[in-house]
Amino acid sequence: MLRYFLSRAAMAVPTLFIIIALAFFLMRLAPGGPFDSQRALDPDIANNLRRIYKLDRPLLEQFFLYLQSLAHGDFGPSLHWRDFSVNELFATALPISAALGTKAMLVAILVGTGLGWVGAISKGGIGPRLVDGAALFGIVLPVFVVAPLLQLGLGLALHALPVGGWNDGAWPNQVLPVITLALPQIAIVARLMQASLTDALLMPHIRTLRAFGMPRSHITLHVLRAAFPPVVSYLGLAAANVLTGSVVVETIFGIPGMGRYFVDGALGRDYTLVMGTVVVVAAAVLAFNLIVDLLLAWLDPRVRYESRP
Amino acid sequence: MNEPARAAPLSVTAAATRNWPMRTSLAILGLITILCLIGPLLSGHPYDQVYRDYVLVPPSLFAHPFPVEIEDAKAAIARRMHVRIEGARVEGDALHVTLGAGKRIDPRALRAFARSDLFAPAKIAAAGDDGRRLTIDVPLKRMIFLFGTDANGRDLFTRVLIAGRISLAVGLLASFIALTIGVAYGAAAGYAGGQLDSLMMRAVEIIYALPFIFFVIVLVMVFGRHFVLIFLAIGAVEWLDMARIVRGQTLSIKQRDFVAAAEALGATTPAILWRHVIPNAAGPIVAYLTMLVPRVILLESFVSFLGLGVQEPLTSWGVLVADGARNIQGSIHLLIFPALFLGATLGALQGLGDGWRRAGIQ
Repeated sequence: MLRYFLSRAAMAVPTLFIIIALAFFLMRLAPGGPFDSQRALDPDIANNLRRIYKLDRPLLEQFFLYLQSLAHGDFGPSLHWRDFSVNELFATALPISAALGTKAMLVAILVGTGLGWVGAISKGGIGPRLVDGAALFGIVLPVFVVAPLLQLGLGLALHALPVGGWNDGAWPNQVLPVITLALPQIAIVARLMQASLTDALLMPHIRTLRAFGMPRSHITLHVLRAAFPPVVSYLGLAAANVLTGSVVVETIFGIPGMGRYFVDGALGRDYTLVMGTVVVVAAAVLAFNLIVDLLLAWLDPRVRYESRP
Repeated sequence: MNEPARAAPLSVTAAATRNWPMRTSLAILGLITILCLIGPLLSGHPYDQVYRDYVLVPPSLFAHPFPVEIEDAKAAIARRMHVRIEGARVEGDALHVTLGAGKRIDPRALRAFARSDLFAPAKIAAAGDDGRRLTIDVPLKRMIFLFGTDANGRDLFTRVLIAGRISLAVGLLASFIALTIGVAYGAAAGYAGGQLDSLMMRAVEIIYALPFIFFVIVLVMVFGRHFVLIFLAIGAVEWLDMARIVRGQTLSIKQRDFVAAAEALGATTPAILWRHVIPNAAGPIVAYLTMLVPRVILLESFVSFLGLGVQEPLTSWGVLVADGARNIQGSIHLLIFPALFLGATLGALQGLGDGWRRAGIQ
């Protein structure tokens, strides 16, 4: 298991490096610079600014300088938010986004699994329709449609929940964003779960357990273990989807998370800020995929044996 | 030798006749496409025409101006002309007003009526009291705003349909680009095999880990915000799955006898790929394509929602939904109609894809 983990982790490092390099040079390809504004800056001032931020050095040197500071855990100063380093910006924004994302994923997994379970064990009847309905709902209503509708219904019409804002993470402020983020993932998880549970229930070893008269709870555990791999392998993609969805959700609900740095940073050519978000997001996605790989190997021993040289 | 791969049927109509969700989906898609193509011509409003007197009008089946609107507009114009309204009645499609003032009324001031979006130029029917009293006929401009108007006073019906053209066009074109890149890349990797194959697939895996929204944002920045270039950016990030699927197919197809035969007969590699490999992978490719098109439409809306997509006065469903989300308090029709069209299209495309795959399995 450790060996498997190490081989997977070793692959993630070069991947992260290539992503950083790709993002760095792509970003510089885009026209415009961080100090462009409506009124052109005095050329001397602009040159000074560029010198201070070391943007006048050759691109390759800049890249190595960036890698160097990154190795020390320093994302550099923000070019747009003067007097703030990217680390300082992330220190407040990252926990917020992480909290939202984690909760949304948990809700998606729990509700999705529950729905899928209901769909799989009730043949015909209302169960599968419920799953189909949820799936269609998740597809037809994208995040940026669900969010304003929820705001309208629960916030403005019923006055049940605040329409936006973060309010230091008070739970009423978190409900709508988490639901919005989780809904599309619930749809997909429910569908996957239903399909794999239906398969798992028909597997020979489950039939054998039943024939031996094992207790229900025992059988349930085995069924879940057999049914989880497809859902678990989807979770890597789900994490990436939740990350992207959170850009929209944070915009709509006015939440001071990472999302706005993503878009604003790219539009304002805030190179260090954008690079910081890319590094954080890519690292998060890679780490999550690593966890998913480990979970898969734990659930299904064939995975870890096959990967042995 | 392998069994022949079971491919999805390539005839939509054949599959659709057996399958009601697919039929419904096709009907909805066809309806929306036709509406988007000819609707803007029939609506009577250019998509960028601003009606300053009809800002945020709610949707209605009846023709404007309504009596209240006439009342308000008439009073406002009279104030601007510094005249009194001594009598007014609406008769059919015309308004008959009698204006009175302390001094002679300058007939040129009547242009105020023509400047309004409610009235056509006024004609003087009778003048009396030394020109201090005018009786005029003002024809009404009858207009229907089926879906209401937006915050700039533009007809939402026309705009939703124009947006549909853009969204559908971007969906198709971006999918086509993703298809081209993905099929070429996947077939090349699968056919080459060995070191080159694993290298190429490793690259795909790396791009997978890149947060795609960042990728799209940077590409939009590099290319500029022109609508023709947005589908390039989207197509450039959505080809990864296609490449994987085609590679997988190619790996099994290249083991088959007819490929060996073609090789033996001296066919060139591109010819083998084009004539033998890709056509045999068509089933899974088409099946995946039905999933790709809604994804691309959604992605375009997403990018537009963030303000990085199509620019005003052109519009897409994402832009309109973003507009609606900003105006939910009071003018909910701005959100409902574009969301309805977007949702119906996504749902129908999904239903089509599901039906297709199910038909392929049977």
